[in-house]
Amino acid sequence: MPAAAEILTEDQRDCYQELTNVAMGQAADRLARLLNAYVVLPIPKISVIENSDLNMALQGATGDSSVSAVCQGFIGAGISGEAMLMFNDASFASLASLMKYEGPLTQEAELELLMDTASVLIGACIHGIGDQLEIVFNQGHPVVLGQHCDLKDLVAYGNNGWDKALAIEIHYTIEHVNIDCELLLLFTEESVKTLNKKVDYLLD
Amino acid sequence: MSLNVLICDDSSFARKQMARALPKEWEVTVHFAGDGLEGVEAIRDGKGDVVFLDLTMPNMDGYGVLETIRRDDLPAMVIVVSGDIQPDAQERVKNLGAMAFIKKPIDAEKARAVLTEYGIMTGV
Repeated sequence: MPAAAEILTEDQRDCYQELTNVAMGQAADRLARLLNAYVVLPIPKISVIENSDLNMALQGATGDSSVSAVCQGFIGAGISGEAMLMFNDASFASLASLMKYEGPLTQEAELELLMDTASVLIGACIHGIGDQLEIVFNQGHPVVLGQHCDLKDLVAYGNNGWDKALAIEIHYTIEHVNIDCELLLLFTEESVKTLNKKVDYLLD
Repeated sequence: MSLNVLICDDSSFARKQMARALPKEWEVTVHFAGDGLEGVEAIRDGKGDVVFLDLTMPNMDGYGVLETIRRDDLPAMVIVVSGDIQPDAQERVKNLGAMAFIKKPIDAEKARAVLTEYGIMTGV
């Protein structure tokens, strides 16, 4: 992919994939303990996307169904990034039952489930990557991008002044139940330069 | 004839990391495989007396490799090295015949501990 080659070498891409593999495993372990279920781990997808492709990347991740999403910025060692967690809305019923959530599944209840899951998955994943690169990331406050919305409306948020970004996509599913979520980590081109130096050090 | 060690992982970075973590004084021949299918082939070729096996791989994953080893009764001692650290994953691979489980990221200490504990590295 030409866009990727300008920012990443194949060795660097491979290294990001492996770092993510380890970090998402740690995050999955936390989630598995919270839900008392087995989290199916995919091979993470590492790519370089243009701002205008974000919509497509997300579409591929969630399909056409309505989604709820949270985003959270993080920063450390001259690197800033954005994490975005999207749930297929059909997931909430199963999520509520696994978390032994009592009472009706109101919008507020779903919001709580969304935030609880986001704090586990986003936090563990970011720190997992940071630990391996010896970077301490500080997380900003999580922001709800929307509940039960169309993806197009979510993506309007994405136009925040970058052209190209490193995208790390992790598609988590839970065994035997209908829970489907996508964690997307985005690093802008400037941050990737700094990240690449850290990665090169590991590759040496 | 020295022992044949196979490192089976889809990431070249992870294969290198694993190879570097092996004890320096352990006299073995190291082979590499980039996915489960290549891994099984290498084991059939006698290149995997000891196998360090990743779980999440394309074409055939680590579970598939373990199942094949068991079904075809291939001679391999398998140590799973995985980022999937859920207790369930560890139990599943043990049930499929894996000898030990090492949590990624691998380092020399973890490798040595397992090789010593299971008596794989002897005479050193």
